[in-house]
Amino acid sequence: MSTPVGTPRLEAASERANRRRGLLLALPSYVYLIVLFAIPLVFVGVYSFASRSRTGKPELADWNLDAVAKLLDSTVLQIAWRSTWLALLNTVLCLLVAYPFAYYIATRRERVRNMLLLLVMIPFWTNFLVRTYAWRVLLDSDGLVTRLGEGLGLWGSMLFSAPAVFLGLLYGFLPFMVLPLYAAIERVDWSLVEAARDLYASGWKAFRRVTLPLTRPGIIAGSILVFIPSLGAYVTPDILGGAKTTLLGNYIVGQFLAARNWPVGSAVSMAILIVMLIATTVYFRSGGRTF
Amino acid sequence: MTAIAVGIHSVTKRFDEVVAVDDVDLEISDGEFFSLLGPSGCGKTTTLRMVAGLEFPTEGRIDIFGEAMGLKPPNHRPVNTVFQSYALFPHMTVAENVGFGLAMRKVPATEITERVHDAIDLVRLTGMADRRPKQLSGGQQQRVALARALVNRPKVLLLDEPLGALDLKLRQAMQLELKDIQKEVGITFVYVTHDQEEALTMSDRIGVMNEGKLLQVGRSEEIYERPANRFVADFIGETNFLSGRVEESGVVRLAGGQLVRAVTHDPVGTEVTLTLRPEKIHLYLRAGDVAPGMNTLTGTVHRRLYYGDSLYYEIDFGFAHVDARVENAPRQQRFEPGHEVIAAFSAQSAEALAE
Amino acid sequence: MTTRRAAARSLPGGRRPLVQRVLALNAWAVYAFFYLPIFILMFFSFNAGRFVTIWEGFSLDWYRVMFANEPLMKALRTSVVVAIVSTIVATVLGTAAALALERYRRWLGKRTFDALLYLPVIIPDVTMAVMLLIFFATVDLNRGLNTIILSHVAFNISFVSIVVRARIAQMDATLEEAAADLYASRWQAFRRVTLPLIMPGVLGGALLAFTLSLDDVVITQFVQGPGTSTLPVFVFGLIKRQVTPEINAVSTLMLVASMVLVFGSLLLQRRR
Ligand SMILES: Nc1ncnc2c1ncn2[C@@H]1O[C@H](COP(=O)(O)OP(=O)(O)O)[C@@H](O)[C@H]1O
Ligand SMILES: [Mg+2]
Repeated sequence: MSTPVGTPRLEAASERANRRRGLLLALPSYVYLIVLFAIPLVFVGVYSFASRSRTGKPELADWNLDAVAKLLDSTVLQIAWRSTWLALLNTVLCLLVAYPFAYYIATRRERVRNMLLLLVMIPFWTNFLVRTYAWRVLLDSDGLVTRLGEGLGLWGSMLFSAPAVFLGLLYGFLPFMVLPLYAAIERVDWSLVEAARDLYASGWKAFRRVTLPLTRPGIIAGSILVFIPSLGAYVTPDILGGAKTTLLGNYIVGQFLAARNWPVGSAVSMAILIVMLIATTVYFRSGGRTF
Repeated sequence: MTAIAVGIHSVTKRFDEVVAVDDVDLEISDGEFFSLLGPSGCGKTTTLRMVAGLEFPTEGRIDIFGEAMGLKPPNHRPVNTVFQSYALFPHMTVAENVGFGLAMRKVPATEITERVHDAIDLVRLTGMADRRPKQLSGGQQQRVALARALVNRPKVLLLDEPLGALDLKLRQAMQLELKDIQKEVGITFVYVTHDQEEALTMSDRIGVMNEGKLLQVGRSEEIYERPANRFVADFIGETNFLSGRVEESGVVRLAGGQLVRAVTHDPVGTEVTLTLRPEKIHLYLRAGDVAPGMNTLTGTVHRRLYYGDSLYYEIDFGFAHVDARVENAPRQQRFEPGHEVIAAFSAQSAEALAE
Repeated sequence: MTTRRAAARSLPGGRRPLVQRVLALNAWAVYAFFYLPIFILMFFSFNAGRFVTIWEGFSLDWYRVMFANEPLMKALRTSVVVAIVSTIVATVLGTAAALALERYRRWLGKRTFDALLYLPVIIPDVTMAVMLLIFFATVDLNRGLNTIILSHVAFNISFVSIVVRARIAQMDATLEEAAADLYASRWQAFRRVTLPLIMPGVLGGALLAFTLSLDDVVITQFVQGPGTSTLPVFVFGLIKRQVTPEINAVSTLMLVASMVLVFGSLLLQRRR
């Protein structure tokens, strides 16, 4: 406000003031995220090269590559492999189930649609641990699903096995796939699809050439929302899985809370983070070319 | 001498590379109905926003009643705006919208109620005070926007294409109403529009803009009868252009070789364009019928267009085609395509504009 | 409505009712998949016996047991405190961040901030837990309620700001200019115009933050101190030891709480 009236560069002064206001508004969360996110992230990177101590808290001395080398250990690789394919499988299955489901909801009349949507919102907002626990009960040796399987002569108790973990992941993350897909399908301009029906005649072709590409943003968002937490899953495998179904999440927690090997835990965490960043970047860039 | 309500002095506004307003000088008098007229994108809104304080000039200064505005924010300026999209607060009733400015200035509640009531009456929305903007028609929303600004008794009211979103009939009715309201409240109106008819009928003075530049300022008749350049002549109303060269002061030689008398401003030898409004051209079959002292050109009727209240004849002079407008009045002579006709016009109606 | 009808006709397979029937079947199967486990879980919370799978008659015993379980009640109180405090802080900070990003141009470090704000959303919980544990251990902060709250705010700011940003982007910025033109100061314009209009977004963001805070197990497990478990961490421990209908009772309580929250927020948004 000290700029003399009538001189040029008033505009520059007002813009500077505006930028200052923007920065000031963001500053509290900016500082917060630097202190409680960016710096901790750097710490994890640094700890990957630190050495292990008996007390749990590692010594920031004797820098070495032991922990990083552990990444190539066959146990770790096996766990990483298992986690990755379970997460991928879960993402694909969620997509296959959720797409027709979201499509069905999005193409109902408005009143019905809102009602159906509300019914999706409830599991979405329901506590994740509670929903996982529900399967712990169903899959138990005398749980309903087990008894059903035994009655049909098809399966026994799946608890503490890979299929149980897989069911838990599917159940846990399916709502994360439905909502972005629904949002994308709901926005589709149906006159385009009509036009395509005229051009291609076959409904399937029109769907593949028009509807599917138009809803790609929803597919990408949903896939990321499912894949990331599936890969880092901890609660689900811990409750429904057993020793043979350790995933990366459990492995890391184990390194910190049981084995007290922080450097290895840090190195694995960093590895997951890096893989995740690369995967999401590539996926976003390519526009999610799974189709 | 009346006071200068708004003084815009050498104002330029740039958005990165785009020059939205280019070195504009303009003084608007107190109590005036002033229109800024120009095609879309010419910088009208930007000019208005700088007066309101929503944008600051890159160069130059803006005064309101002699006081330099500088970096004064909008809430400290004695002006109010009627926004193009109305910008009514959707979460408030009509009365709350209209009373917003008064409430912000800490006017006592009883006075607010009274003034809001009066303002709502003024724009003829009596009984709608408790509605929400969404429950109103476009025309009614427009009136709320007007009341919301007027109720503050600003020294200057800025209106950005306020009738742009309304249909033709309503727009015409609102034009008259706006003009009446302005007379009643006696506030300076700065009115932005791209509709030339609207500007011509409502304004005391008009400023014509194009590509950020203020091309001409004047009363409606001046702008229409004496356009300063080709753009103004073309943009305001309909016109014909005939190219030629200044032969001597007040005389132009057309491209076809004919000499005509016209209003000239440029030295002998200058290449000029004559602008000639269709309704200023009179058509005759015989030379004897032409009033003395008129310019005449002979041509043939190329085409005739029937407009109901008038007829347009497209006349071919060989070197140019010209449209002439003839009132569809009783006993008015009709011409058929192929007829040879004499087009007559006065020297005063032909303005010679330098390229 | 014609578009909806057009949509139905444009399904893969077009007018053939078979496709429609398969879609409907899939939809009801998914709903059953969503709800049956939850209903069964709630059902067995009223079991008289001590098993979660064998029905032995109706009783409210397990709810009595639950309310008498002092450590569990303490965890519940901790959870509520953590959720409320972290939601309030994250909502205030996240809303300010959203405003800075949507309404202010070209300020110093804007792009970096934007990226930094997105990272906590795409990072797995476990990694975030590890980061925060190492950080608190390194700076020698005593772990307890404070570190839990600090951590929950750290991941919630991002979620709040994403939700609020979407709402601000939908809001017409000329409304704020109109307020300024009508003599409102910056604060008044925010308080009287911007805030009421973005309120559904702010409430939505707060609801998400609250839910995420009550959902979190891993991060809290890492950064909690002795005796400061939150409810999910406590229940998680119970599940791993032994399952009893008491856990079903706690689960039912949490389910009902989140449903109340969802319906409450829906009603609030209807009213606007
Ligand atoms: N905020 C802005 N940023 C960049 N360019 C702008 C901005 N506002 C206006 N312009 C540009 O300035 C020119 C004039 O715009 P405007 O004043 O809105 O014209 P009008 O109101 O006459 O249609 C246009 O080219 C427009 O694109
Ligand atoms: Mg404009």
